[in-house]
Amino acid sequence: MKRLMALLTVCAALALFAMGPAAAEDAPLTVGAIYVGSVNDYGYNRAMKDGLEEMKKSIPGLKLIEAENVPETAESERIMEGMIQQGAKLIFATSFGHQQFAFNLAKTHPDVVFEHAGGWMQAPNFGNFFGATQSAWYPMGVAAGKMTKSNTLGFVVGVPIGYAIGNVNAFEMGARSVNPNAVTRVVVTGGWSDKAKEAVAANALIDQGADVVTMHVDSPATIIQTAEGRGVYSIGFQSTEARTLAPKGWLTGLGFTWGQFMTATAKSVIAGTFKPAMVRLGLGQGMMAVAPFGPAVSPDVQALVTASAEKIGAGFNPFTGPVTDNNGVVRIKDGESWGGDKMGNFDWYVEGVIGKAK
Amino acid sequence: MNTALVVGVVASSILSGTSLLYATLGELVGERAGIVNLGLEGILLIGAATGFALSALTGNPYVGLIAAAFAGAAVNLIFAYLVVERRANQLATGLCLMFFGSGMSALIGRPFVGALIGGLPRLHLPGLAANGIGMRISSYDILVYLGVPTAGLIWWLLFRTRWGLVLRAVGENPASAFAAGYRPASLQYQALALAGFMGGIAGAHISIAVTQTWAEGMTGGRGFIAIALVIFARWNPFLAIAGALLFGGAEALQLQLQAAGADVSPFLMNMVPYLLTLLVLVVWGWNRQAVAPAALGRTFFGVE
Repeated sequence: MKRLMALLTVCAALALFAMGPAAAEDAPLTVGAIYVGSVNDYGYNRAMKDGLEEMKKSIPGLKLIEAENVPETAESERIMEGMIQQGAKLIFATSFGHQQFAFNLAKTHPDVVFEHAGGWMQAPNFGNFFGATQSAWYPMGVAAGKMTKSNTLGFVVGVPIGYAIGNVNAFEMGARSVNPNAVTRVVVTGGWSDKAKEAVAANALIDQGADVVTMHVDSPATIIQTAEGRGVYSIGFQSTEARTLAPKGWLTGLGFTWGQFMTATAKSVIAGTFKPAMVRLGLGQGMMAVAPFGPAVSPDVQALVTASAEKIGAGFNPFTGPVTDNNGVVRIKDGESWGGDKMGNFDWYVEGVIGKAK
Repeated sequence: MNTALVVGVVASSILSGTSLLYATLGELVGERAGIVNLGLEGILLIGAATGFALSALTGNPYVGLIAAAFAGAAVNLIFAYLVVERRANQLATGLCLMFFGSGMSALIGRPFVGALIGGLPRLHLPGLAANGIGMRISSYDILVYLGVPTAGLIWWLLFRTRWGLVLRAVGENPASAFAAGYRPASLQYQALALAGFMGGIAGAHISIAVTQTWAEGMTGGRGFIAIALVIFARWNPFLAIAGALLFGGAEALQLQLQAAGADVSPFLMNMVPYLLTLLVLVVWGWNRQAVAPAALGRTFFGVE
């Protein structure tokens, strides 16, 4: 028993020793980050990881503690608590479902700043951020509308929430802006990450004539590889790195670029000037970027896509009336327009989309 | 209805039904020996992760496939030890195996998320692959072509060999088999090793051939569907082919109908395959006693 006690004491001492220097180190800032999946997913988590790496590079000496596959449960609260124990003064909770748990910790740790991706909660030490994805899909539609030969585009949607429907709508409107005959067929798989079903869904779209396939799911890998295997074009979403999956059929893609915002936030925490805000930025504002083009895209199509991306960046809003849904009902009246606050409200598809929203 | 839709449904149901077929055949062999394995989903996940990992490491998907099969067999032998040797409750142990497989596969697959693999090569049937439709219904990986022969082989093993006769005797009445001089435990080990082997192949087909990716929990409940399909198939390997095609077909059909622009809610569409499975179980359920192995799920405590 005595020996066991001695052993435990040594262990505790070692643990303290191991933890001690982390807190005492004179890094300008220790940043904690939690991901809901793996950072190698060519998708959402990879984009977050790339942003944090850029922040780390921009601020010499900054220390980054990361945890992958953090579930959207109370477990995430314990993991973030552990990061605070290790000296983290800024925490990025990068998945929607981490919000409440990060917010709980923000209340009990007023000296730690939290940034949450995609939510709405606010506190003096709790801000949130996300990309304005919907309008950014417009130039993707331009690329697809120009490249399609069958005038049929395919869109795999995980779960048809308002934001995802908005993405589809802007995509189709972009396609129609350069090709009045373009239609977008939508298939819903019912989950953000049901890989086998995504493969069948992409195949179904291609069977129905789609020659450009895109998606809003967690990781675009399966759908892009399925499209490549069947010899049709693909457009990626989430991370711009997905292009390596389709050397032939890749057209372009929409990726999140969080680096600039994360760096600015870390600097404001170091300077003690952090102010919470609900940040939503899109193309041309630093949070979203058009991925490099694939070999099939001719220079004039590239110029068209780039021009439309610049137009969106300069403030053009595709959701400006009159906008008609695919049953012929006018949803946004002439002179009206839907801003960022209404992007979650879509429960209808625009004219030219073949699919049902609910 | 258009041709593309019919061809698409046929092609996709064959592709996505294949993993279900192997999983169902495996479970069927185990149940014929009297053991229900609710942990099949875990075996599928282990197979998917191991197969993907080894394909990524060696660059050879066939190596991944074989590794997946043996990993499935090895993990199922742990289950066999618990329910046969330690006489643990089969249902509870099966559920534990499911969670174990889910965690273990996450661990195995973790370093390989996002890895690029070539995938099982598609073998084109000569003569058919010339045009679009022919290409779609005649270019599959080896596991698809081996599906029906495997069902035949399992049937032959179960119903035309002495080994199969004794195995079924163990599933019907282990005490009699024991009295006749056979060792029920030994046969149950063999049956579960074969079941795990098939489950590993089923999982690998999803990760290596169909999706060419690994993601946690990617089998999406297909292990549980396969358990239902064993009942549908009345413990008959040939009917298992129909069951696998039926479920794979229902899933392919609802996705094709969405793509074709059917005027039905996508939420309802996504329920169709599961509704169909429920319906089939309801219709088939009344006849279950007559065909299920009599000692299914019971623990054999030996003869005093």
